[in-house]
Amino acid sequence: MDMSDYMSMFLDESRENLQNLNQCLLDLEKNPNNLALLDEIFRVAHTLKGMSATMGFTTVAELTHEMENVLDKLRKGEMPVVPDVVDILFQCLDTLETLITNITNGVEDSIDTSALIKKLRSMLSMDATRAEVASSLAEPLTTEEEPFLLTDELNEFEKEVITQARGKGFQIYRIVVSLEEECLLKAARAFMVFRELEEQGEVIKTIPEVKELEEGEFQKDFQIYLVTKADQQELVQRVITVSEVETVDIVELLLDKSATQSVTENAVEIDKTKQTKPQPVAQVNNNNGNHKNKLSQTVRVDIERLDNLMNLVGELVINRTRLEQIGLKHGLNDLGETLEQVGRITTDLQNLVMKVRMVPIEQVFNRFPRMIRDLAKELGREINLVIEGEETELDRTVIDEIGDPLVHLLRNAVDHGVGSPEEREKMGKSRVGTVKLLAYPEGNQVVIRVDDDGKGINPEIILKKALEKGVITEKEAEKMEAQDIVMLVFKPGFSTAEKVTDVSGRGVGMDVVRTKIESLGGNISVQTKVGEGSSFIIRLPLTLAIIQALLVGMSKEIYAIPLSSIEETISLAQEDIKTIQDKEVILLRGNVLPVLRLSEILQVEADSAEEEQDLYVVVVKTGQRRAGLIVDKLIGQQEVVIKSLGKLLNGYRQFAGATILGDGRVALILDITFLL
Amino acid sequence: MAEIKEEVNNGEELQLVIFKLDQEEYGVEITQVQEIIRMMETTRVPKAPSYIKGVINLRGKVIPVIDLKKRFGLCDCALDEQSRIIVVEVDDFTVGIVVDCVAEVLRIGTNSIEPTPPVFSDLSEEYIKGVGKLENRLLILLDINKILDIEELEKAG
Repeated sequence: MDMSDYMSMFLDESRENLQNLNQCLLDLEKNPNNLALLDEIFRVAHTLKGMSATMGFTTVAELTHEMENVLDKLRKGEMPVVPDVVDILFQCLDTLETLITNITNGVEDSIDTSALIKKLRSMLSMDATRAEVASSLAEPLTTEEEPFLLTDELNEFEKEVITQARGKGFQIYRIVVSLEEECLLKAARAFMVFRELEEQGEVIKTIPEVKELEEGEFQKDFQIYLVTKADQQELVQRVITVSEVETVDIVELLLDKSATQSVTENAVEIDKTKQTKPQPVAQVNNNNGNHKNKLSQTVRVDIERLDNLMNLVGELVINRTRLEQIGLKHGLNDLGETLEQVGRITTDLQNLVMKVRMVPIEQVFNRFPRMIRDLAKELGREINLVIEGEETELDRTVIDEIGDPLVHLLRNAVDHGVGSPEEREKMGKSRVGTVKLLAYPEGNQVVIRVDDDGKGINPEIILKKALEKGVITEKEAEKMEAQDIVMLVFKPGFSTAEKVTDVSGRGVGMDVVRTKIESLGGNISVQTKVGEGSSFIIRLPLTLAIIQALLVGMSKEIYAIPLSSIEETISLAQEDIKTIQDKEVILLRGNVLPVLRLSEILQVEADSAEEEQDLYVVVVKTGQRRAGLIVDKLIGQQEVVIKSLGKLLNGYRQFAGATILGDGRVALILDITFLL
Repeated sequence: MAEIKEEVNNGEELQLVIFKLDQEEYGVEITQVQEIIRMMETTRVPKAPSYIKGVINLRGKVIPVIDLKKRFGLCDCALDEQSRIIVVEVDDFTVGIVVDCVAEVLRIGTNSIEPTPPVFSDLSEEYIKGVGKLENRLLILLDINKILDIEELEKAG
């Protein structure tokens, strides 16, 4: 491992930590008295400090250090958790996020954090007076009366911590760790040891100081004082698993006054050379519930590798199909059997790879509580955000893209949907509006809903606006039903906000939202009831890489139509096609269905040789619209791997991409949304 | 690049892949060429400009193929055994270009490349980097980036 390996680890973990911090802060705002949360926040800040200092990002380290000071006071109850403090902590979080993003993008740390640090410090000094009063009243133990501790290396404060911890049944250990002589990254190793131990308890002191450890300024060994409930043996096991650790000495410190002079040398020494394989120790869950145990076995994998794997599996699927065709052509039955087996394996493999690429939507949802909080403050709304189903999994590509549309829908829900507390009271609703963000799987799709309990969408207003803005004509308006009218909000150039705010109502939003979702192979619809609220319902495919498609033939060309947009296929006679106002239609079970000749749309040269009697019609739907596509022949259903057409042809939106057929030829995949 | 002259580039060489379109000889820098493959069946992309011949399957990757003769408005002669697809990589996308035949790979000193003459066949000047003189041959140096300029393609489409 060189430094760049640490770098990606550092960035990943920092992001995780910041996300965690965000969540904790939000919870803290609701429950200012929850000490467990404060502990967690402190721990996160501390980890960030340690990691960034090791990596040499001093700005991050300094800021987190100042945060720690404030947090420490907070968790000791020396300072009350007031909204101001939480606000400042949120600001710190934002700044940290920016800093980490800058590091990710390779931008120099150039953010000035001094103002923020000043605020943090003023928080401290402001509270110093108040805190003094409080502590003089409530201080249970003064430092003078402290029992003498076994070692002179601890200062009064640390001794006090130890005394208190002992009182609660914790053990105090002094752990001396020596690294191998040739260890190159002492700082990193020390840090890893530090983290292992921190998971087990609280590190109260290190020799040398944490800062020096982080900078690697020590010979080959260092000491850590740990307050924990964990077992000695286990601690040793944990530390020894860190690479390049040579020996671990552990000494329990007793706090008995009579035993002041004689340290119980209860040393356990484990030599790594003797111990070939560390014994797996049963995990004792000793933490008090506030330390998250991240012990599930995971491996971080570069996204690109996953994409490559997916491509390879795709290739495999293509070649399997090719083999099947060869088998059919030459009537090789044995081959067929083997291929069936291969087919099962590839299907399993494919499912597995697909699952690997799936990420819980939590990743996207996580940032919304904060956003809604800020937004509600800004707009003077009172919002209760309910998130459900964040464990629902979606393909990574979808996850990456779905964030922006959701942001937009949520902003709309807060801004237009829920309405101001006053408006709501007038309507006889509670002042606090509820916005629900739900995700759940439904068949082969995932549904994401944004619900609000606001005033709903009034079709009359929409219609009026649409006419004003020229989105539709009077003539069109007459024929429209309520449901269609509501769908007008997705038309380009439509915005009903009375005044244009920073938040929503720029008239670009909903149109962009719909386009984005459709480009992901999904669709969006609205359900609304005036006075009761609205729901925006997004349906997305589980994955984008491999789809089921129907292959259709048009003279000599072959096209693929995604099965997800097909309702059914029918065959009918030439004379079944009627015309209404020069448009071709058919009657399908009593309903009029417009039909389109695919060969005309795609300008396929007609194969004049055959004049068939029967026509094949593929009934497709997109959103509310249905149509029949007349094709020359139906070839069959097949699993196809979607390949991009590349930058050059991306403008041709009637194609969702291309796929490679069993015989190696390329077939274009039709995008029904843009075809109709 | 019009001012490439002796004193600066004396002795420097370009390695070019020389191919024929109709009767003319063209060259592209070898660094841009990924590979040269035999002509293969292409899949037509409906509604695309006529010079986009279609897409092909290049070992599992779908790439578009451009008919340079159509692009330049040269004669539309039939493809034959000699026809090849030169796969070029520009920026980060890959495109095949159909040529009548690939003649050779040769080195040419930058000092024997001259700026485009003001009047030059049907080719729009901007696609041409210059004209290379080699004994009594004239080689037209193409600027692949310009030919594949996406915006331009969109305009044309």
